[in-house]
Amino acid sequence: MIRLPATVVLAALMLLGLVTGGTAHADRPPHAAPPDDIESEDTGLHLLREAAAAGRSRGYSGTQYVTSWGASSAVSEVLEVRNIPGRGLTVRTEPSGTSGHSGSVRGAAPSGSWNADPGTPAGGMSSPSEVMLEVMARNYRVVYAGEGFACGRPARLVNVLRADGTVAARYWLDRAGGPVLRRELMDTGGRVVRAGAFVDLTLDPAARGAVPATAAGGLDLAELPLMEAEGWRFPRTLPGRLELFAAHRVPSGYLYLGYSDGLSVVSVFIQSGMLDEEGLQGWHAERRNGHTIWIRDPAGQETIWASGGHVYTVFADAPADMVDAAVAVLPHEPVPDLWTRLGRGASRLLSWANPFG
Amino acid sequence: MSHLGERVSALVDGELNHHERDRALSHLTFCAPCRAEVDAVRALKSRLRSLDGPAMPADLTMSLLRMAEPGGPLPPRERPFRASRTFGGAPIPSMHAIAPPDNRPRGRAGGPRRARRAGYVAVGVASAAVAIGTLFVVGGADPNPRIVPPVDMFANQHRNTAPYGGSATPTLSPSP
Repeated sequence: MIRLPATVVLAALMLLGLVTGGTAHADRPPHAAPPDDIESEDTGLHLLREAAAAGRSRGYSGTQYVTSWGASSAVSEVLEVRNIPGRGLTVRTEPSGTSGHSGSVRGAAPSGSWNADPGTPAGGMSSPSEVMLEVMARNYRVVYAGEGFACGRPARLVNVLRADGTVAARYWLDRAGGPVLRRELMDTGGRVVRAGAFVDLTLDPAARGAVPATAAGGLDLAELPLMEAEGWRFPRTLPGRLELFAAHRVPSGYLYLGYSDGLSVVSVFIQSGMLDEEGLQGWHAERRNGHTIWIRDPAGQETIWASGGHVYTVFADAPADMVDAAVAVLPHEPVPDLWTRLGRGASRLLSWANPFG
Repeated sequence: MSHLGERVSALVDGELNHHERDRALSHLTFCAPCRAEVDAVRALKSRLRSLDGPAMPADLTMSLLRMAEPGGPLPPRERPFRASRTFGGAPIPSMHAIAPPDNRPRGRAGGPRRARRAGYVAVGVASAAVAIGTLFVVGGADPNPRIVPPVDMFANQHRNTAPYGGSATPTLSPSP
């Protein structure tokens, strides 16, 4: 019989333990929390991941009440939602009106029934993709904050914290494996600027053998090199840690840019041309830093302005201060005036007189 | 026939045609005043013919001759009576230097210069206006069209785009 040194036996036992542990992790359901989430500060990230997966894979129906608060008033809408696994989420919207002393419901979603992805603003952004969760974790701390109730159901509370410790968002996640019950966005002043909550939820029984999983997601920047080669220049990031995740050149004649920080989303549409201000029915003008900005909804989520020879349109699901900061850093060049026209005439005359032109 | 009047000088100068001259001569046969006036005009004309022509000054003739010569600068003007003579430091006016005092108002004296200056300004303004107008017309209207953003379409695209959702095209399937 060969006697092994005690250190060799101990090393073999440790190696066996590591192998056994690895096997256990491999057998873990896909929606379970990765160890890095648990061990890191993002103690609520795995809970968000589970809820995001349930929002796609569980069948449910209910009524959601969504409200966006502006500086002086708010816009609300009631959503009738129905999710059928394999068929997707159907949303039926009925604008319920405004509160406050001014504003309108023009910014609310149009009435009707829509098929919506639960990761989109139309779907309440309750099921973000895996990549969006990673971006959220990169920009914020996602922490488990205790137990609570929402929509009359037991819920786990998850806070999304900024670097300074203030709360940027708060989630109520169904303890019974359902979707996000309530979601609130806060501005830097701690004021709730957007809230979407179930007021009524019926959760279908979980299907046997169904493996809930989040959407992988990813960037949509394949056209970016071509757009830059054509001379387009736009920022990759905007204030508030908004990062460019999508850039498209739409054949019908406009440019689409999508920015998100993992919580909010800001869409920028750029068209070539001069803004026909007389055609902006229902929009009102504001002066900001010497520029004219056209705003439609009272929550400040819809803005239009002209810059140089382009027209910028911004739609957002974000705190108003974040939208204002993003709009401020986008181009605001003066509209071409008489001197521009005279300069154009001079250049044309020179080009005509130039025999080598 | 009335008196010859202004036709007297024309008759004397021979500027009447045959018919008018015959009528004028027939009138003179019985009109003594006209005959006397014709005689007076003929006498005046013959006297003027008898006078010598004015003599050209010698310096003017020489100057014109020098100008006719090829090459060389023009000679300086020679004043027959220079005003360089002084008495006790004060200039002595010469015979040609004596002139009546200029009592005309200064406004009249500066008028042509001011009018010329105003003309220059007017021409400059007109030229600038023509140049600016040309640039304005050649510059043409702004080539960019006037547009109203399709906000409903943009809002739908925004609401149906999942952040970090990959390259999947958002589903837009409204049902009535």
